[in-house]
Formats: sequence, C-alpha cells, structure tokens
Amino acid sequence: MFKLKTLINKELKRFFTDRRMLSTLLLPGVFIYILYTVIGNVGASVGEVDDSYIYQVSVVNFPEELSFIHDQFESPLDVQFLTSENDDRIQDVEERTLDLYIVFEADFYANMVAYDIASGLPAPHVEIFYNSAAEESGAIYQYYTGMLNAFERQISNKFDINRSVEVSYNQATAADFSRQFVTGLVPFLLMIFLFSGSQAIAVESIAGEKERNTMGTLLATPTSRSQIALGKIIALSITALVSASSSFLGVMLSLPQLVGDDSFTLAIYGLETYLLLFVIIVTTVLIFVVLLSLISAYAKSIKEAATLAAPLMIVIYLVGVTSLFGTSQTNLWFYLIPIYNSVQSLTAVFDLSISIPQLTFTILSNLTLLGIGVYLLTLAFDSEKMMFNK
Amino acid sequence: MIEVKNLRKTFKLSKKQQKLEKTKTKLKVAVDDLSFSVNKGEIYGLLGPNGAGKTTTLRIMASLIKADSGDAFIDGISVKENPGQVRSKIGFLTSELKLDDFFTPNYLFDYFGRLHGVDEKTLAERKIKLFDQFGIEPFKEVKVADLSTGMKQKVSLVISIIHDPQVIIFDEPTNGLDILTAKTVTDFLLTLKKEEKTIILSTHIFELVEKLCDRVGIIIYGQMRLSESVEDLLKVDRLENVFFKLFEEGMTSHV
Ligand SMILES: Nc1ncnc2c1ncn2[C@@H]1O[C@H](COP(=O)(O)OP(=O)(O)OP(=O)(O)O)[C@@H](O)[C@H]1O
Ligand SMILES: [Mg+2]
Repeated sequence: MFKLKTLINKELKRFFTDRRMLSTLLLPGVFIYILYTVIGNVGASVGEVDDSYIYQVSVVNFPEELSFIHDQFESPLDVQFLTSENDDRIQDVEERTLDLYIVFEADFYANMVAYDIASGLPAPHVEIFYNSAAEESGAIYQYYTGMLNAFERQISNKFDINRSVEVSYNQATAADFSRQFVTGLVPFLLMIFLFSGSQAIAVESIAGEKERNTMGTLLATPTSRSQIALGKIIALSITALVSASSSFLGVMLSLPQLVGDDSFTLAIYGLETYLLLFVIIVTTVLIFVVLLSLISAYAKSIKEAATLAAPLMIVIYLVGVTSLFGTSQTNLWFYLIPIYNSVQSLTAVFDLSISIPQLTFTILSNLTLLGIGVYLLTLAFDSEKMMFNK
Repeated sequence: MIEVKNLRKTFKLSKKQQKLEKTKTKLKVAVDDLSFSVNKGEIYGLLGPNGAGKTTTLRIMASLIKADSGDAFIDGISVKENPGQVRSKIGFLTSELKLDDFFTPNYLFDYFGRLHGVDEKTLAERKIKLFDQFGIEPFKEVKVADLSTGMKQKVSLVISIIHDPQVIIFDEPTNGLDILTAKTVTDFLLTLKKEEKTIILSTHIFELVEKLCDRVGIIIYGQMRLSESVEDLLKVDRLENVFFKLFEEGMTSHV
C-alpha cells in the first residue's frame, strides 16, 4: 500500500507540476466557455421571430407617460390595458397565449417622481411576467426591460423591475427547457472530454514511459506488477477527473449563453443529481483509463498508441451521439454494455429519470470491466513482449 | 553468490530486424546454453564483442526478460520462480534503462528508495553518503533532462544500489564516462568487493577486466568460450590475445 502511494504521488507530480501538461488538461474547459459564450450570443440573435407576428401584451395600471415604449416597438403590438390585477394572465403567459403580462403598481408614475432614494423606502415597482421558452415572449421581454432600464437610467434609479424574490416572473417551465437542452448535449460532450483527457495522459504515462525506456527502470524494482498497474490507473483517473471537471464546468457555465436564457444556472439540478453524475463520471473515467492504458501498453510508441486509440475514439463518439435523442434507454439490460451505459446513465441523470437498477447495472458493469482491465494490465506489465518490444 | 545454469534465449525477429541484421532466419539466438557462477566477494567480468549476448544475459538475471530455458540463481533464489524476490536482492544497472527526464535526482532517489522498501531514516542516510561520494549534491535539484551523460550515469548507478543489495549486476558501468568519473565507479566497485558483495559486470574493455576482475568469462555469439581466473590467464598471455584467439576459433566454428 505504501508503494501504491509512492507510485501515485509520482504520477500526479508528473502531471500537475508540468505547465505544458497542465494546460493541455485544463485549457479545454476555458476554451469551451469562451467558444460557447460566442456561439451562444450568435445563436441568440439568430433566433428571430416572424415579422408578421402580433405581440400580445396585457398591462395593469399603465402610466400614459410611458407609452413611448409601446410606440417605439417595431413589430405589430396588441396591448390590452387592465385596471386591476388578474392572475389568470400569468397562466396565459405560461401557456404562451400571452407574451407579456406587466403590472405597474397603482400611481406608478407619480410615485416614481416623488420617490426619494434617501427615504430608505422601497422604490416603486413594476413586475413583468414572461416565458423565455417562447421566443416571442423572450424577445419582447428583452425589449421591454431594456426600455425601462434605459428610462430609469435617465431619471436615476427611481423604480425597481421584478424586485420580489418570491415571485417567479419567467413563466417558462424554464427548468424543463434547460434540462432538455442539457440532456441532449452534455452527455455527448462529457464523453468526448472524458475520453480525450484520459487519452492524453494514459498514452503519455505508459507508451511514453516505454518509448523513453523509463518503464524498465520501474519494472526492475521489486514493486509488484499489480501495484504498478493499479497505481497508474488511480493516478491517471484522478488526473483525468480534474481535466474532465474543468471541461464540465466550462460546458455548464456556458450553457446560459448557449441556451440564451440568463435564468439558466447550474442550480437547475440538485446536489443529488451532481453526486450521481460524479459517480457515473468516475466509473466512466476508470474504464476509459483502463482501456487506453491497455492500448498504450501494447503500443511500441506514443504515436502508435494514438493510432490504435483512434478506433476506440470513433466508437465513443458514435455511442455518445445516442444522447442527442434526449431520452434514455429504458431496457435495463442495455445498462450492462460499457460506454453505452455511461451515455445512457448520464442522459437519464440529466432528465431526472435515472433508476436505481439502471445506476447499479452501470456501476457494476463498469467496475467489472475495470477489474478485468487491471488484471490484464498487470499481465501486460509482466510481459516481456509488451514492455520491451522495440 | 550467482549461479547461471544453461541459459538460452532466442528473439523472434520482426521483418524490419531481419533486414537490419541481413538475415532470412526468423530466430536470433542471443544466449546459447550459457553457464557460469560468481562467488561472494568476487568481481566477475563478462567480456565480449558487440552483440555477443552480455546485456541479454544480465537482463535475464535481473528478471526483466525470461529465458527460453535454463535458470539463474541469486543467493539460491531462482529468477524463474521468484523474480520479485530476486529484484529486491540485486542492484541492476544498464544503459538501456533510463531515468525520467522530468524529475530531479533528489526526487528519484526517494522514489526508488521507497519502491525498494527502504525505510525513511536509512534512505536519508544513504542519500547523504552516496550523493557525497559521487558528487551528486551540486546537481541534485536539476531535472534529469538537463544533466550530462556522466551525471545521469552517476545518478543511475546510485539509484541502482539504493537498497544496498548483496548482488550487483552492472552492464558496461563505465561506458561513456570520462577517466575521472570512470575511476569513481571502479573505486566504488572495489569498496563493494571489500564489503563481500557478489559483483558481475559486462564490458568490452580488456583493461577494466585486468584491473578489476577476479575472474572473467568470455562470451562470443552467445556462448561462454572461457571462464577463468584473471590472474591465471595473465600468467600465460595478455587478455587481448586470448580473446582474439578465441574469436577466430569462434568465427570458424560459427560459420
Ligand atoms: N529485443 C530483441 N529483439 C531481437 N533481437 C535482440 C533483442 N535484444 C537483443 N537482441 C539481439 O541479441 C543479440 C545479443 O544482444 P545483446 O544486447 O545481449 O549484446 P551485447 O553483448 O550486450 O552487445 P553490446 O556490447 O553491443 O551491448 C544481438 O544480436 C541483438 O541484436
Ligand atoms: Mg550490451
């Protein structure tokens, strides 16, 4: 056990103190964030609304003084003026028959003019209910708040928009919408990041050591082959996990831009979901590392290892694509197929449909493969042909 | 005490290797029925031309590769049966095994010491002593990648005997070293001999054998052609002449 720690420490030191290596591992996450933030913004402007669409707006206590907001709107607009609040309108927004429901407090304009920030009293309030899942509603919401904010800037902060934290103004079942997006895309991206992260380090650590003739030095010590195999797998998995976490964070943090909805946060999922996710990611990384280590042990050089890993990568991509359907496999037995089970479990976790048997099958199957892999790797480290073939 | 009994090792040649060696045969006999023994407190020289099978023999003894047949015994322990135990008993040095470029001698010393199961206190003591003896102290924090050939060789050597092994197996230990560094190595081997270690070293340098070794084995085409006391041999003729004579005989019998 003591030796296992020594072995792991060295591998980790290798990866985490080498700036070049570290940047290969961590940069993808940063890169994804930047990339998707750009794509997301482009995507948002692409999602245009049909020109002939007539926007439906209901507004309570509308102050005449603000009619410029309606006048300057460039698309056809149908405004219904109400004198009292009606909660059915909120329902309409959710059901998309209404694009915007706006509630100004009574005597909004007069209150606003009279309002003194120094008084410490709450500012006059306007509430705007919208539905970001509907493009039209999202668009006019952006317009309306934009106009109000611009107006407010002119008169220096004299009212609040959507102040209440208890009220949900966005009537999109926003979580549903975001979740669908995440379910379709993130498992696929995760599989790719997990694989490429694992590949870079497994190839470096095993085929690289063979190529540079440092493997023999390690094998000449009385350290058992199984400890060497286990030490490599553990250290590589830890490193791959750090790299994967960076990519995962990059994806999740750029999702608001990608979805085009600021209300999207990592918080659409609870702690439990993230824990499940972590468990699946760990077992997935372990089998990726084991498979890539075996390939690296077989290959004569770093280059050959990369070539041999290519078919596996294609398989991962193809299997990863199955997440894009957005729904997970319901036949339990399929969760025994490694890699496919990872993709399906991730999909199921994201759309909150994962079941205990599915999760159990996935973990058991992956751990079994891991066990076999470690055993084979032990044999590989003991094989003269594999370790000293030139 | 080392005993090598009827070792035989063949390599399957790949197409590329066949071309390189200009041969059509698929099998290359590297070591052919080799037997010899080395006693405690003795330095044994394995002398032979390039490609004779010296490194292959030593690698089998160090349990890195497996013999087709025959066996070697280190203090009575069979390499074939207990490779792990043999590895902890021997100190093995060969230029084919490299140190990781990315680390410093200081780090690698601790790393390999721990893998050999040396306790921390002993490890620290041995580090001070060996680093001082081989002048490693000044560059102990320099990454291996930035060391010269001689510096690397010193570090490799020190690391190979980190666990104070009873049996020392050195493959061309002075190869590529300047006279000063080479002398450090040979002096060190003599101190080890005084400590009653069992030492075997391979070389193609006659002088080294004459100066250092108690007995010599001449290996040509994988076969042991002679295994005798250096002192006795030198009474008859210079080692060089003995070798050439054997080599010519080997040529005629080999073709
Ligand atoms: N892995 C291998 N595959 C094929 N042939 C090999 C392999 N290792 C060694 N040989 C061959 O076995 C023979 C003996 O090689 P070895 O390295 O033992 O010689 P050596 O006596 O150490 O030579 P040198 O003085 O050049 O180091 C050589 O012909 C070599 O080409
Ligand atoms: Mg050699």
